Amino acid sequence: MDLLVKALLDGDQAKALVEAKKLRVAGVGCERIVTDGVEAAMAELDAKCTVEHFNLLEIMLAGRAVMGVLRELYPPMDPPPVTKGTVVIGTPEGDVHDLGKNVFKAVLTAKRFRVVDCGKDCPIETLIETAEREGAVALSVSGLITAVIPQVRLLRERMRERGLEHVRLMAGGAALKQASAESLNVDFVADTAFDGLHYLERITGGNDEQH
Amino acid sequence: MNSIERVNAALSFEKPDRVPVIAQVFGHAAVLAGVSLHDYVRDGELLARCQIRALRRYDYDAVFALMDTSVETEAAGSILTYPRDCYPYVASFALPEISKLEGLSLPDPRKDGRMPELLKAAAILRREVGDEVLVVGCVLGPLTVAMQLMGAEPALYLAIDQPERFERLLDFSADLAIRFGTAQLEAGVHLPVVFDPSASPAVVPPSFFREFELPRLERLFTALKQAGAAANWLHIAGPATPILPYYPRAGVDIANFDYCVQASEAQVAVPRTCLDGNIKPLSFVESTPEAISEESSALLDRFACRGGFILSSGCEIPPEAQPENVAAMVSAARGRGVNIADSDRKTGKRGTPNPIHLRPLSARYP
Repeated sequence: MDLLVKALLDGDQAKALVEAKKLRVAGVGCERIVTDGVEAAMAELDAKCTVEHFNLLEIMLAGRAVMGVLRELYPPMDPPPVTKGTVVIGTPEGDVHDLGKNVFKAVLTAKRFRVVDCGKDCPIETLIETAEREGAVALSVSGLITAVIPQVRLLRERMRERGLEHVRLMAGGAALKQASAESLNVDFVADTAFDGLHYLERITGGNDEQH
Repeated sequence: MNSIERVNAALSFEKPDRVPVIAQVFGHAAVLAGVSLHDYVRDGELLARCQIRALRRYDYDAVFALMDTSVETEAAGSILTYPRDCYPYVASFALPEISKLEGLSLPDPRKDGRMPELLKAAAILRREVGDEVLVVGCVLGPLTVAMQLMGAEPALYLAIDQPERFERLLDFSADLAIRFGTAQLEAGVHLPVVFDPSASPAVVPPSFFREFELPRLERLFTALKQAGAAANWLHIAGPATPILPYYPRAGVDIANFDYCVQASEAQVAVPRTCLDGNIKPLSFVESTPEAISEESSALLDRFACRGGFILSSGCEIPPEAQPENVAAMVSAARGRGVNIADSDRKTGKRGTPNPIHLRPLSARYP
């Protein structure tokens, strides 16, 4: 398992896949590979990536390796049976940057959240409809340009109109994190992807739910 | 003192009549003039007119011949989408696969994409303000060009998976920046700011910056100086503290620092380099003139003894900024003016003087 963790931390997708396959051949269950391998690697990365020492590249590489291993363990037709909850993510209409959002997706997936990615330049109505349809615990928006802020501020009211008050609203990205949660009318503003992960783990109690 | 002399004094760590103030007003100049960003970034004459209008309104120390971060990639063959009220973005990248790099030609700034319009803006601005106000052009740094040519994720994965090919892409990007920057200088800018957001430690680790980007920035800044740049200005947003110490080696004369970098940290990191910054961009949209004025004053106090400072925002002032907030920053600097006849004008001198050498207007872009 240590070799898998190291390969994931190194962002070495090929080696991580080899190690994951070896573990499967040795009879180790998929769930244990995720909890003791993938999650352990993300926890180490989390500890290393403070607000002062956080860069997208390192997490992108680990994220790519993680996603490769998860695809190997759980092919599309056979998704993981248990998750910590569904999170809908997207970049609001008018903003086409998605590097940070994609990193957040990888981090959440590695920590066994189910992520529904609405992509970039996405109308907020689509985000809300997706959150409703997918039974999301949270809706998270990312923004690199300040022009999307007025849309973010509308989310709370639009969600309330649909009876989605229970869905937590989160924001992140270079533009949105300049503002406070109160000012954006959201529940939480994440400084980094791991900061967002910690918030989600707090609100879900870190517990698995049947999906 | 005029703006050029003022900036020159800041560069030399001498005492200016007041601290220069450069509001990073790009698309905001269009909004101020009631012009759509769609038109502003496509029409050099319109851009220049909006910049002049903003200069007359705010009376700061620099104007910008600057469109957006897609000028280089479009000229190299990318297809852009132009929303009406936002900056354009790449719909189809010039370099979908790295194997096509050898087939990619360096754009000609006089012919390709919107580069000729930007050169037109530069020429008009210089003609309008002469050597009274700093005329700033813009080129993207090599890493940002590379990511704009391929897309951010493919370019970064290429850096790890095929570093030699990535380095060739970076060299191409540096050549592109040199060619475009040189053309801007010939057109009339006093200097092009090198805008390199992708080199931020928020995106790549400092070791990556040192290994891949620093040598290209060194080459770029050397070439820009040879082409007549009055000074080398590097603009990397985000938490740049760990890479600031490399700036002098790259040949940087003016270092932008963003709102998330403490002024004290920046002062320690580059003690002999002129700094510009660092009011939070969003504050110009959401804050009040009183708060901006207070923040500006705090920055002016912090640099009062050191000198080598240009009051500015940490990054672009958003297009939708409140004009009274921009005016408040400018007023804060203007309100701190001193009599330049003060006998101690040069007593604040520290570091190596680095005066601006003005170049004549180009005959090619009259």
